[in-house]
Amino acid sequence: MICGDKFACHCPNIFSHASNHSHFSFLSSPDPRTSHSNSSFLGHERGSSEGSYRSSGSREKRIGYLTTGVVQKPGCLIKDLLIPTILLQWRSQGIPCYNKATCSSCERTLSSLELPRAVPLACGPSNMSVDESILNENQERADNGVNNGSYGASQFHGRPFHGRPRHKGHDPGRDLSIQVLEKFSLVTKFARETTSQLFGENQSNGFGASERRTHIQTNIDHPKKSSNMVEDSSDESPVALDSQEFGGMMVYFFISIGPFDNLSLVWGKPRQPPLGSEEWITFLDSEGRITDSEALRKRVFYGGLDNELRNEVWGLLLGYYSYESTYAEREYLKSVKKSEYEIIKNQWQSISSSQAKRFTKFRERKGLIEKDVVRTDRSLPFYEGDDNQNVYVLRDILLTYSFYNFDLGYCQGMSDLLSPILFVMDDESEAFWCFVALMERLGPNFNRDQNGMHSQLFALSKVEFEYEKTMRFWEVLWAHYPSEHLHLYVCVAILKRYRGKIMGEEMDFDTLLKFINELSGHIELDAILRDAEALCICAGEDGVARIPPGTPPSLPVDDGSFYVQQDDIL
Amino acid sequence: MSYAYLFKYIIIGDTGVGKSCLLLQFTDKRFQPVHDLTIGVEFGARMITIDNKPIKLQIWDTAGQESFRSITRSYYRGAAGALLVYDITRRETFNHLASWLEDARQHANANMTIMLIGNKCDLAHRRAVSTEEGEQFAKEHGLIFMEASAKTAQNVEEAFIKTAATIYKKIQDGVFDVSNESYGIKVGYGGIPGPSGGRDGPSASAGGCCT
Repeated sequence: MICGDKFACHCPNIFSHASNHSHFSFLSSPDPRTSHSNSSFLGHERGSSEGSYRSSGSREKRIGYLTTGVVQKPGCLIKDLLIPTILLQWRSQGIPCYNKATCSSCERTLSSLELPRAVPLACGPSNMSVDESILNENQERADNGVNNGSYGASQFHGRPFHGRPRHKGHDPGRDLSIQVLEKFSLVTKFARETTSQLFGENQSNGFGASERRTHIQTNIDHPKKSSNMVEDSSDESPVALDSQEFGGMMVYFFISIGPFDNLSLVWGKPRQPPLGSEEWITFLDSEGRITDSEALRKRVFYGGLDNELRNEVWGLLLGYYSYESTYAEREYLKSVKKSEYEIIKNQWQSISSSQAKRFTKFRERKGLIEKDVVRTDRSLPFYEGDDNQNVYVLRDILLTYSFYNFDLGYCQGMSDLLSPILFVMDDESEAFWCFVALMERLGPNFNRDQNGMHSQLFALSKVEFEYEKTMRFWEVLWAHYPSEHLHLYVCVAILKRYRGKIMGEEMDFDTLLKFINELSGHIELDAILRDAEALCICAGEDGVARIPPGTPPSLPVDDGSFYVQQDDIL
Repeated sequence: MSYAYLFKYIIIGDTGVGKSCLLLQFTDKRFQPVHDLTIGVEFGARMITIDNKPIKLQIWDTAGQESFRSITRSYYRGAAGALLVYDITRRETFNHLASWLEDARQHANANMTIMLIGNKCDLAHRRAVSTEEGEQFAKEHGLIFMEASAKTAQNVEEAFIKTAATIYKKIQDGVFDVSNESYGIKVGYGGIPGPSGGRDGPSASAGGCCT
C-alpha cells in the first residue's frame, strides 16, 4: 500500500519488510485484540497473548492467521501499529476478560504505554517529520480498523459478557492498587481522590462508564473518529474494569490527566551539572537580590546545587528568605531570627525538674526526641561518635520546634528531615528556621488522618536515597519547577518505572510492600526526575486541575487552626 | 530456597524497645548499638527448622511511635505470629502493652500467636519491670513470654523459634486452614503438608490412597 512505501522510503531499515498483506490483515481485522500481538513487539511476552487467543475458541483460526502475519513481519508491525497499538490498547480495556490470561495480557498491552518505549519518537528532529507522518497515517488507518474492530467486537462480545457473572465482591486488585498508591505517597488528597474516583466509580455507580467517557473525550486530543472509537470502547469498559487490575488503572490515570499523543513526544530534558558559585553570581544583582527567581528555580530543578552553595540557597528555596531580599536584609533577618530562636529555646530550657515532673507531654516528647536523634544518620561523620555535639543540636532544634509549634509537637521522622538541613546550614538558628519553613510546606500532611501519608512522604524523601542524593532531590523539589507538586509526579514516575515488574509478577500486597521497600537506594534519581518532568508536562493543565487546592505544599484552603489539636499524638 | 511453610511475623511495641535490634540479631546474628530509626516498616527473613521441616520466617519490623499506629495496623492482617516487645528498663513501655494488645486483637486474625518479649534483660541493674510482672501479664492475656537481650543474643533465637513451634503445632492441630493465606501461613513448594496440616490436603490425599 501507499503508506507502506512511504515508510519504506523514509526509513528503509526498519520498514522495508512491510507488506501489503499484513496491512490488510490488520485493517480488516474485526478483532481489536490484534493489539496484543502487536504489543509483543513492544517488548511483551508473546506466549501469554497467544494463550489468551486460544482461550477465545471459535476465532482462533482468524486470529491465528493474524498472529502469523505478525510473526513474519515485525518491521511492519512496528511501523503500522505504533499508534494504533496505543489506541487499541486503550480499546482493549473494553474487551471482556474471559480468563486470567486474557486479563494479564490486557495489562501487558496497556503497560506498553510506558514512556521509554514511546520516546524514540522524539529522539531527533530528523525523525520527527517521519514520525509525524507515521502518526497521521497510522491514526487514519487505525481509526478505520479500530472502528471496524470495535463494531465487530461489541457484537461478538456482547453475549459472553452479559452471560458472565461479574465479580462484585472483594477485588484484591483494587485493594492492591489503593495500597500501592498510598505506599508511594501519592501522598495527598490528590492521590486519595484520584484513586477513590477511579475505584469509587467502579464500585458505586456500577462501572462509571459515563464518567470515564467524559474524561476520555475531553482529554484525548484526537480526531473525531478516534474519540468515537474510544467512546465505543468505554461502553464496554465496565466489563474490563471489573477485573481490570492495577495496570489498567494506572494507565487510565495517565491518560486521564493528559492527551497521550503528547506522551510520545515529551521527554524530560537531560540533567545539568549542579549550579556552582560562578554561575550563581549571575542570578544576583549587585545588592544580592535574585533578579529572576524563576530562572533560578528552573536552573536548580535541572541540576541542583553545588554543596558549597546549598548553605546560601536553601533558605531562599524554602522561602525563609525572600528572593527580593538583599544581602544586608538577609543578614539582618538572620540576626533577628537568631534571637527569636533563643527565646523559644529558652522556654523549654527553663523548665525545672520539678516542673517537668508535672508536665507529662514535655517529658514524653523529650524522651522520644532523645531516643530518635541518637538513631538519626549516625553513620555520617557529621553525626557519628559518642557525645557528638551535632546530635545535641538536633535534639535542641526539635525540642524547640515542639514549643514553636506545640500543637504539632514532635513526630518520628522529623529528625530525618532536619538532619540534612542542619548539616547544610551548620548553624543552629538558621537550621531551625529552614526546618520551620520546610514544615510549613509539609504541614497539612501532619494532620492526624494523614499519618500514613506523612510517614510515606518521609520514606520517599529520605530513606530511598543516599544522603547527597537526598539533598539533591530536596532542592529540586523545593525549586517548585515545573510544578510545586512535582513530588506527586515523582511518585508516579517511580511506579511507572517498575510497573512491568510489579504487574508481571502479580505481586500481592506483602510482596509489593517488600519490593518497594527494597527499592531503597536503587532509585536512579536523574532518570526518575526526567520521567517526572515528562509526566508533569504531559499532564499539563489537566494535571494541575486535578490537584485539589490546598494540597501541600500549597497553602491550606481551610482557615482555622493550621494543625488540628490531637491529644494522643505526642 | 524451598520451605515447607512460610510464617509471617510482625514485631510490635513502643519506640526504642529494641524491635529492630531483635530482628537484626535473629537474622544476622549481630548487634548494632546505633540502629537507624525505623520509618514505616522493614523486613527480615530467615529459615529455621521445626520437626525437620524447613520453615521460612518473614518478619515485618514496624515503627513504634503512636502516630504510626494507623500504618502498623494494616500490617497485622495476614500475620501468623507477633512479637510484642517492651523494654524492661522502661516502665512505660510495659504499661503500654495493653493498648498494643488491643490493637493486635482488633486487627489481626484471632489465631495469631503472640510472644511477649521483655527486651534488654542484659541491663539488669536498670530493671524497672520484674520478670514476674512480665510472666503475670502474659498469663493473664494468654501470651507466650520470654525475657531476651538483643545485645547478648540471649533468648533471641528461642523467642522466634518458640513462636514458630507454637504456630506449627496449631497447624498440626488443624487450627488453621493453611490454604487461606490470611492466616499468615503459606505452604511452600518444597514442603509436603503434614499429616494433619490443612483441611483440604490430607483428606483429599488420604482419599486417594484408600480408593
